[in-house]
Amino acid sequence: MNVIRLFSLELVRLVRSRTTWLVVLLTALSPAAGLGFYQPAVSTTMNTLYLANPAMAGGAAGGILFSLLTIFELDRLRRSRADLLTDAVVSPLTTALARLLALLAVAGLTVALTLLGWFPVSMVRIGSVFDGGDYALAYLLLMGLALPLSVLAGGCAYQVTCRRELSIVLFAAFAALSLTVWAGNWQLCWLNPCVWALSDDFSNFRIFRSVAWMRLTWLAALAGMWGFSWLCIRRYGKGALGSLARSARRIYRPIIALALLACAGTAYAAQPFLDHSNPDLTVMSFYELPDVEGVAALRCSAKVFPDTDAGTVTGRACYQFENTSGQARTLSFGINPGYTVSRVQANGVDAPFTVSAYQEYNEARLEVTIPAQTRVEVSVAYSGFPQESLPTMQGINELSADYLCLENSALLPRPMNVRSREGGCRTVVEITLPASMTAIPFSTSEAAVVAEREDGAKIWRYEEKGMGSILYAGDYVRQDIEAGGITIQFYYARKHQAIMEQAGAADAVKAVVDYCVRHYGLPAAFGTSGRLKLIQSRVRSSGYAVDGASLLDEEDFTAANLADVEKGGGAGEVMIHELVHQWWGLGRMFDLDDPTSPWSAEGLTVYTTYRIVKELYGEAYAREHYIGQWKQAVDDYYLNFYVRHPAYLELLPEGERLGISNNLSGMRWYSEMPLKILKAEELVGGEAAMDRILYELFQREPDPMYPYLTYEDFLTACGLTEEELELG
Amino acid sequence: MELKIQGVGMTYPNGKQALKDLNLELKSPSLIGLLGPNGAGKSTLMKLLVAALLPTAGTILVDGQPLVKHERAFKERLGYLPQEFGLFDELSVTQFLDYMAALKGLRQPKAAIREVIESVRLEEKAKAKIRTLSGGQRQRVGIAQALLGNPPFLILDEPTVGLDPEERIHFRNLFSRTAQDRLVLLSTHIIEDVQSVCDQLVVIHQGRSLFTGTPEQLIHLAQGHVGVFWERDAGQEQGLHITARVNTGQGIRCRAVAAQLPAFVKVEEPTLEDAYLYLLSREVSA
Amino acid sequence: MGKIYRYECRRLLWNQFFAGLTVVLLLYGALVLRGVTILGVSHTAPFSPWSFGDYLSRMLPLLWLGALTLLSFFTSPKARRAEVLTAAASMSPRRYALARCLAALTGTALLALLCLGQAALFYGWYFGWYGWGSLAFPTLVTLVPPLVFAMGSGWLLGKLRPWLLYAWMPAPFVCGLLPLPEAMGLWNGSFFIRYPLTLERLDPAFSAPVSVLLVQCGLLAAGIGLLAHSPVKAVAERR
Repeated sequence: MNVIRLFSLELVRLVRSRTTWLVVLLTALSPAAGLGFYQPAVSTTMNTLYLANPAMAGGAAGGILFSLLTIFELDRLRRSRADLLTDAVVSPLTTALARLLALLAVAGLTVALTLLGWFPVSMVRIGSVFDGGDYALAYLLLMGLALPLSVLAGGCAYQVTCRRELSIVLFAAFAALSLTVWAGNWQLCWLNPCVWALSDDFSNFRIFRSVAWMRLTWLAALAGMWGFSWLCIRRYGKGALGSLARSARRIYRPIIALALLACAGTAYAAQPFLDHSNPDLTVMSFYELPDVEGVAALRCSAKVFPDTDAGTVTGRACYQFENTSGQARTLSFGINPGYTVSRVQANGVDAPFTVSAYQEYNEARLEVTIPAQTRVEVSVAYSGFPQESLPTMQGINELSADYLCLENSALLPRPMNVRSREGGCRTVVEITLPASMTAIPFSTSEAAVVAEREDGAKIWRYEEKGMGSILYAGDYVRQDIEAGGITIQFYYARKHQAIMEQAGAADAVKAVVDYCVRHYGLPAAFGTSGRLKLIQSRVRSSGYAVDGASLLDEEDFTAANLADVEKGGGAGEVMIHELVHQWWGLGRMFDLDDPTSPWSAEGLTVYTTYRIVKELYGEAYAREHYIGQWKQAVDDYYLNFYVRHPAYLELLPEGERLGISNNLSGMRWYSEMPLKILKAEELVGGEAAMDRILYELFQREPDPMYPYLTYEDFLTACGLTEEELELG
Repeated sequence: MELKIQGVGMTYPNGKQALKDLNLELKSPSLIGLLGPNGAGKSTLMKLLVAALLPTAGTILVDGQPLVKHERAFKERLGYLPQEFGLFDELSVTQFLDYMAALKGLRQPKAAIREVIESVRLEEKAKAKIRTLSGGQRQRVGIAQALLGNPPFLILDEPTVGLDPEERIHFRNLFSRTAQDRLVLLSTHIIEDVQSVCDQLVVIHQGRSLFTGTPEQLIHLAQGHVGVFWERDAGQEQGLHITARVNTGQGIRCRAVAAQLPAFVKVEEPTLEDAYLYLLSREVSA
Repeated sequence: MGKIYRYECRRLLWNQFFAGLTVVLLLYGALVLRGVTILGVSHTAPFSPWSFGDYLSRMLPLLWLGALTLLSFFTSPKARRAEVLTAAASMSPRRYALARCLAALTGTALLALLCLGQAALFYGWYFGWYGWGSLAFPTLVTLVPPLVFAMGSGWLLGKLRPWLLYAWMPAPFVCGLLPLPEAMGLWNGSFFIRYPLTLERLDPAFSAPVSVLLVQCGLLAAGIGLLAHSPVKAVAERR
């Protein structure tokens, strides 16, 4: 009897079993857990809430259920001694293969039923940003592939041990590892993919690819392991090893299993998504490189060609340097670790170069030796799949036909140890993008279309101050808002247009800008250009700002977030916070040299956010959600055991120590300093007095040698001492 | 040892009446065969005798004392092999017997274990894990635990199931030797076993005792009711229970029992199996 | 009885199932210690009685599950088939049950000791801390009553219907999700997080309000009562 015939018999037998239908039903219902108590993805986008979490809950629960079904089915046949009958007719290896295929077919059927069943629910809950492609991919990758993996794992455990209980324990341990210890390791969490967010308004190309990579890695690994366990199926009265030795005589069998395991190992080691940046975020050795003596950058330019289908980038960057040292010099460039540098030329001649294995802050170090000539033009040809640094927050550097984010060294190599010539260096970027995309440099610069190709792709060109650039692109709508005497260029996804207009997001932006301009005046950066770009980014859990541009997470604009009246001031507060950074928080305002100091851009920004929220949503809300939480966080901080006994912190291994200290230092910026500013406000005579002080500080003439606003400046302006602001 | 079963009845909670007004008297030394068709009440009787069930009517007296009141003392003298039983697969044969010896409170367990292991011919498997044993070997472990400590009263429910013919004969003889100074109650479907070793027979049918006596008495009961005939000679005779049918060169030769043998049937000397079947057929006809 | 106890211990503890349980317990323990306990609870040290108690209460559901799993060795269909033989033996059912119960208790105690040993290793390795005396009382209060109750209730339920034992296994996980009153705070671990904050002083020594102690004593008494009662029940069941 061949496998196909046996498979159909096994499938019919399985489909007639009530247990099978119970498992199918429970699995199909299990996405409901993702709407309630099991929400591994933390973002609040609609696709995360109503698609990623249900699909992952379905995957975890369905995986466990199908593994149990597999173990029970294999055990049931053994217990009922039916195997004695079937083994007399067909080889047990053939039967096992047919059973596996039947179980996989039932798993496929279950996924299909789940996809159909949850389609209307997801469509209604997600609303206008629902996308059929995302829906299908989410259920297939986040849920669907967990089922065959579990069937393989359960079958593997049973075939090796031949014991039901032991197989369950082994599988439970394997699943528990994925759900707990490996949950933060995107390549190991085979049951519950490491997905933290799905975008509503833009594509989810990277995260789906990453999950597919992980699933396929495990599929190969478990198929290989299953292959070996298959060879362990007891025959001729032998034990596991005896049967293995016997069944492996057909040499192609163990070779296939080994090949699958080798594939899995290779896929694990050669994953293209994440770099190997130093996990210690306090180490910034690339930023501490001394400038090379006698070399100055004159001009940078780059031609960049993103392949939005493959998610890769090809580029050629040219740098003009002035080398007055009279010697050959070695220059360092930061480059995205996913890129391969194919050629480096200096003045048209191939120049020696190396790319470091050491990586830091999503950069590898490209070292190029330039000749001892006064004018040197260095060209670097690079290409590859831009890698990310944060395994638990993948997808931020999305690159697809919908959205593109190329930041700094992902756009072009960043000179690390060369200063600009006097008068500054300029960077010109030309990038070729699909017709639907709008290029938005993250600065005051404007990009313009300089050419159009036959296939409709457009070549955008813009010029930046300094060496390097950040570029966003996507299918954006631009809305110009007049507020506080400046023009806000509000870029948001075309897919989100209806929601933005319905919720009046533009009015909220206007209110914040009006408040800040009224109280503190215009930031100097706006004064020159008279405009501010406000860009809705793909979900990234935070925003940031530079001169003339501010990035806001799409999470702040979800339909639920904008329309939720119950949430009161909670809606869009991150948006307010990021906008306020245009006033308090740009690089020239605060020195980043001392990360341990509580004085940073966050203190004044959080305080101002509190003031705006108080004005918009009332004092009671602001007191509860800001002052109350600051106080609680500060109390917790000073009572924390490690703060009181730092010697114990020093005893801990590095990983644990960093985790705890990073967690503690964030509190000082976001809670302690706002509370001190609030105390200062009381001491100087109230809000009006504090507003005057902050206005003066904001409008002060900075010292060109040290333009940063220091804590001493703030104390002096308030007429207070550090001791007076100590929190009792 | 003397066991008296007086008017014992057993009705299960679901209403099924397994035994009805059963009266028996069993005395040692004796090897008593308990016969009866499936569902006759044999296993229920055995469970009552090992105090695993309480009778719903009547009493069981052991040496004149009610079993219920002297259960522990009775169990100290009891060896029991049920028809279906489980063993601790994770223990070895010796360990399991040591475990049972401890449960039985034996004072010299090692010697007793060695003795029963030899009796059941499991010396080679003494240290093997029970999970590695075959069906017949597991059955022998069951017999060994029943024999452990030489109990004066042995209850064996289908003890030779799963054993090969040679082993069956060995155990038959073993039970016979054991019964020289003890009371052994042997329940079985294999008439040959009973005929070979039992000096007493009890036949139960539908919860009632049909016959109590020696095998010879049962055979005598069937005298004149067993015969052989050629199938071609037979008509549509009623009440003839064919017990054997043999193809020979001259035709099909049949053996049958009946209350009244027809003329074409030649009367034969009954065997114990014939007598047992005659007894049951008579009961069914009645 | 000693021999029965030894054989039962061997049956319960010397098998792959117990080994698997141990591995799962140790893995989960490592996760809790390195992820949660290391931070300390309610501003106390990771090795304070409160943090340690929090660790124990997080381990308790698994220990409970382990204890009931050990009991399932006596109530499984296979074990019930073997009972046909053991029930016909002359040993008093009460003594036999006691020997088996003690074996299950030994297994549970071993699992609990593994948790304690792992914590000891963690404290010694990470903090060079060995002051075990201060942790004895919270250990007793946290672990002993629920585990004795698990044995007592599990024994009874297993005798009534074997599947009830499995249905009883998730009980502490359910407790963990319920907003229990303060007196039952030890049942879901909230006691170790909330109570030290109410004491309004830093690094308080371990103490517990009378209500909590009464609830734990009640649990212990119920467990002992059920254990004492269950063997009698087992005798009655054979009837």
